[in-house]
Amino acid sequence: MNTNPDSGTGRRVPVVIVDDHTIFRSGLKADLDERMDVVGEAGTVEQAIAVIAESRPEVVLLDVHLPGGLGGGGREVIAGSSALLGTTSFLALSVSDAAEDVVSVIRAGARGYVTKTISGKEISDAVIRVADGDAVFSPRLAGFVLDAFGTAPADIADDELDKLSARELEVMRLIARGYSYKEVAKELFISIKTVETHVSAVLRKLQLSSRHELTKWAAERRLL
Amino acid sequence: MTTAVQRPALVRSSDRMIAGVCSGLADHLGWPVKFVRLGMVLACFAGGAGVAFYAWLWTMVPTADESAKRNARRPASPIAPAVSLPPTAAAPAQASTAYDAGPSPAVHGGPPAAGASGGQESGSSSRAGSASGFDATSADDSWGGSALSPWFSFRKIQYGKEILLGAALLLVAALLIARQFGVDVPLGTLIPAAAILGGAAIAWMQLDETRRAGLVDKTKADQAGGWVRLAAGLALVVAGVLVMVSGSGSWEQTWLALLASVAVLGGVALVLLPWGLKFWKDLETERAGRVRETERAEIAAHLHDSVLQTLALIQRRAGSEQDVVRLARAQERELRAWLFSDAARESGLLADRIKSVAAEVEDSHGHAVEVVTVGDTEMTDRHEALVQAAREAMVNAARHGGGTVSVYLESTAGSTEIFIKDRGPGFDLDAVPDDRLGVKESIIGRMKRHGGTAAITSSSDGTEVRLTLPSASVDAGDQRNNDVRNGEAKQ
Repeated sequence: MNTNPDSGTGRRVPVVIVDDHTIFRSGLKADLDERMDVVGEAGTVEQAIAVIAESRPEVVLLDVHLPGGLGGGGREVIAGSSALLGTTSFLALSVSDAAEDVVSVIRAGARGYVTKTISGKEISDAVIRVADGDAVFSPRLAGFVLDAFGTAPADIADDELDKLSARELEVMRLIARGYSYKEVAKELFISIKTVETHVSAVLRKLQLSSRHELTKWAAERRLL
Repeated sequence: MTTAVQRPALVRSSDRMIAGVCSGLADHLGWPVKFVRLGMVLACFAGGAGVAFYAWLWTMVPTADESAKRNARRPASPIAPAVSLPPTAAAPAQASTAYDAGPSPAVHGGPPAAGASGGQESGSSSRAGSASGFDATSADDSWGGSALSPWFSFRKIQYGKEILLGAALLLVAALLIARQFGVDVPLGTLIPAAAILGGAAIAWMQLDETRRAGLVDKTKADQAGGWVRLAAGLALVVAGVLVMVSGSGSWEQTWLALLASVAVLGGVALVLLPWGLKFWKDLETERAGRVRETERAEIAAHLHDSVLQTLALIQRRAGSEQDVVRLARAQERELRAWLFSDAARESGLLADRIKSVAAEVEDSHGHAVEVVTVGDTEMTDRHEALVQAAREAMVNAARHGGGTVSVYLESTAGSTEIFIKDRGPGFDLDAVPDDRLGVKESIIGRMKRHGGTAAITSSSDGTEVRLTLPSASVDAGDQRNNDVRNGEAKQ
């Protein structure tokens, strides 16, 4: 379903897995299909930054909660690898559904957020999508976005970073309802590429919006 | 003996004339307060015996508040619910009056290191007797501590103090009698010595209590009464020493000695200050450590009751994938709720209600139900109907659909919408026979009766049920408009 020319030619996406649980790392490694290649693993913040700098992967599967460093976990890894953000994309993985964790790691620069209970097929698709430069939104993340930005569409006069457009809202709503990108495209009579554009735009707003309510909101919703 | 068991604890009552000793005593003995007070006053004329007795009880007997506080602390133990059982049932008849006076805060000269529960227990109500002792040891034992022997030595010391006090009183009596018989007793030396001893005793009692209380209960440490007692003890000791050293001489000599001693004390204080600060810091650290320990005990208890049990169950059911998934999901949910939700969120809000209904469906059908909520609203009867309709839709989705069931709740000022989506093979609503109440009655009919709408879209990719409930203030016209605008009513 993906329009990635690379995956068709058999080129494998180099991936680094960062998680402090060895069992989870090996499980995840087994789950990733033949479209990607695990080129490195790390269990702490320092290791992760070193491994990423050395192996230059396209995608980093990054646990949000990591030992080491200054205690910043996944956020700190992204900050430490900021020089590579143009070539390397980060996909956050977590057992936590807490809004604060989600929002902080997205705002640090991650291209998506999925929970660790995600199936093997879904995680592979998500990695490919992130490698293509798109954003990965789980229903829960879409729910957070709707909750944080509000469900009223932006007026033209509004600062566009602080609100979602009517179309973006529609896309977010459908994703929150459990629709896949393909289903969203079908429902709205648009192409998958357009859906991906909308999602990326939302991600950008989530990352760049200076709305202080966003942070406040996330802090309040720490208790999910 | 049997009556001793039923007696209320000897505590200083809050209904007081001076220190609440008499009314406490009256409560304890079951006598009228008036008589006790009268008796006390009369005893005062018998060579001041009443005064001494009163003072003794004042010092030794805890106030009702203190006693209640200690008792209240015990059931807080998260690990041994048995500890919180009232000890009366098991209290042996040995609780004699002599023992009753025992468990005052002051009597415990024993090792403060006897452990938190040991320390609390022995300070608890006087009737607790050895029953509370048993509780304390069993609680400690369950955590691998061997509190048994320290606790018994504790008891011995407790009695030792009683005996010591009695012996001292006897000694005083003997001295007085000897004086009556004309023996020359050096009162000039003895009285200052007694003052020193008494002052020291008061101060030490105070220190002991402060330390114990400080470890157990922060608020106790800065009680004004403690300072007064410390000051009284100090004054007594200083006065005694001064009189003794200056040989009961003139005021001038005493005055000079006082100045000198104040200077010396100041110097000593200056030297000891760092040590004192360190001691205080250690105390703070220990206090924090104890809090952490309690927290850890609570977490350990919870994990033991929940996660470990589930893991054991999962090992036994390893053959059945569905059971394992269901157990794991249920445990995850439970743990999450315990970690991240506080009691304040147990409110009657729609999102929580939907989540709990989804959890129920998940448990009974073994299908993952993912709930995403945006916004929230107070539960009403109409919302309850919405929840029931949503529940029916979730059950259908879990029963007939495949994969994860997605539930999305969006609550705005104008209306509340719930979407339930599955990835099953879908079905044709028109083909559903009228006698099948599930969809027609429980979902569509129910929503209609409460002024809402239900729309069902089904294709080979899955089925989505959409429930809309306008807010009570929105009238029926708006509701119809809503329907048209949303344009998804494909019934």
